[in-house]
Amino acid sequence: MTVKGSQQKIVFVTGKGGVGKSLIAAAIASERAKSGRRTLLVELGDTSYYQDLFSLPEVTHHPASTKYGFDLALWGGESSLREYVLHYLRMEKLYNLFFDNRVMRALVNVAPGLPEIAMLGKITSGIRKVGPALNYDDIIVDCFASGHALALLKTARGMKEAIPLGPMGHHSAEIDLVLRDKNVTSVVVVTLLEELPVVESLELVSDLQKEFGLEAVIVANRVLKAPVSADEIKAEAEKSDSSLKEFAKFILGTEKRQAELIERLKQQTTKIAEVPQIFDTTADQLLREAGASLPQAGEL
Amino acid sequence: MSFDQILKTSKVVVCAGSGGVGKTTLSAALAVRAAQLGLRTLVLTVDPAKRLATALGLDLTEHEVKKVEGLKSGGQLEAGVIDSKKTFDAFVVRHSSNQDLAQRLLKNRLYQQLSTTLSGSQEFTSLERLYEAYESKKYDVIILDTPPTKHAIDFLKAPERLSNLFQDSVTKWFMFAGGEKGGILSGLVNRGTRTVLKSLELLTGSQFIDELVDFFASIRNLQKVLRDRSKGAQELLLSEQTAFVVVTSFDAAKLTEAHYLQSVLKNMGYRLSGVIINRAFPLWLSNGSAETDTSTSGSASSELAEFYQTFRRYHSQRYELYEKFEKTVGESVRIVRIPEYNQDVHGLEGLERLAERLAEQADEKINSNPSNSNGM
Repeated sequence: MTVKGSQQKIVFVTGKGGVGKSLIAAAIASERAKSGRRTLLVELGDTSYYQDLFSLPEVTHHPASTKYGFDLALWGGESSLREYVLHYLRMEKLYNLFFDNRVMRALVNVAPGLPEIAMLGKITSGIRKVGPALNYDDIIVDCFASGHALALLKTARGMKEAIPLGPMGHHSAEIDLVLRDKNVTSVVVVTLLEELPVVESLELVSDLQKEFGLEAVIVANRVLKAPVSADEIKAEAEKSDSSLKEFAKFILGTEKRQAELIERLKQQTTKIAEVPQIFDTTADQLLREAGASLPQAGEL
Repeated sequence: MSFDQILKTSKVVVCAGSGGVGKTTLSAALAVRAAQLGLRTLVLTVDPAKRLATALGLDLTEHEVKKVEGLKSGGQLEAGVIDSKKTFDAFVVRHSSNQDLAQRLLKNRLYQQLSTTLSGSQEFTSLERLYEAYESKKYDVIILDTPPTKHAIDFLKAPERLSNLFQDSVTKWFMFAGGEKGGILSGLVNRGTRTVLKSLELLTGSQFIDELVDFFASIRNLQKVLRDRSKGAQELLLSEQTAFVVVTSFDAAKLTEAHYLQSVLKNMGYRLSGVIINRAFPLWLSNGSAETDTSTSGSASSELAEFYQTFRRYHSQRYELYEKFEKTVGESVRIVRIPEYNQDVHGLEGLERLAERLAEQADEKINSNPSNSNGM
């Protein structure tokens, strides 16, 4: 499939649990919006993380604007399928029958692959020109953690191979093509400069390359950067009477470990960005500061 | 109750919490502590990092439980990895009353492609492994690490979702459909249901419906045993023999979630015994408190001193979060804060150090509120 004249970009943001994926995804969305692009930030699943962070009354399937310049939506398996059914069947009566059926609801939530395909279908619907218009230049997806994200992306090909015939196979094949299109899809892998997240990120980056031919960007989050030279810290750490001795040692140790892990990341990819540890705690400050150190849209 | 007492008085300790909080490592540390206490211990982990697996002597491709060698502090510890697909396959073969149907299910393309992503299957297989180990009566205590989920509560909701899949109506629905020779849809009695299935066919195609029908038809003989085993495991989790420990990391969102989780656990009737807050403060911040330190004013590097103060302020704000959290947790629940070590914890030595920390806090903190003793 060729995507002619379409400028829409899809960015999946993933990484090991607890590394700050959601914050980085929001910071990317906020930067894109600032640069004048119509941007949609998407959460996957049934519960919103951003609702608390941004103090919003609710986050639903329908995109709503935020004060950060981007729109925000929550797309789950059921809500995506609902919309698709309505659009595809174009018969409200049948649609109501479909979703008021108890068995149907149970099935939609557990049928192997169905919720996943529904979510992927929704995310790629703008590019595929299926369903309601998605008037955005950028769709930033706050995706599942590494393993789950890879499994989600692989569902399209899995379904295409398992069920080649019929609309399901057809849509899965189309979705799969969009996910493999470098001009449309990119993946940001968020990590901390610590052993476990780095190892997991490297595995994921290599899997994405192997499975999808996608070259992911790594964002190292919460990098400790002391505003003092290493020599000064070293001198402090060696002073026997310094009250900052332990702190200085901690910084030296952390900086050393960080440098080693950055080297390991560099052996696999050059697409690495660093976001420093931020000591502010309000959402606005976090977004602004994280956004400032992210690579520009063209580099993602 | 101290963590030592929790381990001594429980048959099962479930470590719950959302992804990325260090659950697997802390489950292993709790298991090491249990072994140190002389208990015959089993730890069942989900997807351990390679170095942790190596430390425990685990082969990630193997289904079997292995003895952990090289513990300096002694004790009898076994460890196993829960592989969802292998456990599910083994379960299908062992419990199918009809081996033809078992083979048919294993060959079903939807099952093959997607059995690991089947909603709730990971949670089900974890409970199945736990229940098996419990029934073997080989262990004094079993520590269960839970699958990584976006939200910790998913682990408890999953069995319900899975049993929805196996509820009579769904399977019957599809058995009906599969049993009819003249087209899968014509056999359905209920006209509304037929319309619904027809719409689904319109949306997905008849091949998908065929596979789906085959899938449900093949699992029908597992329906009862699946429900029985799930029920047995649930009863075990709800019994006095099981203690829940919530593992959380130290930020506002995770603490909010941990708070939500612990109230849900209580409401659902599970026994919440402990909370472990991982990486709560850096080691250099001696006692975990973060009162403003003015003694650094005369330091040589004022920039470094300033940076130090920024750090302390940050941790002091975080400490307020902790205090708020602590107040919301019931008196009977033990809270332990684990410092952030300068190195990642992987090897057995690291686990033994963590185990000591869990034990140490158990002794020092009885009846004392840490917020009173550190000048905050």
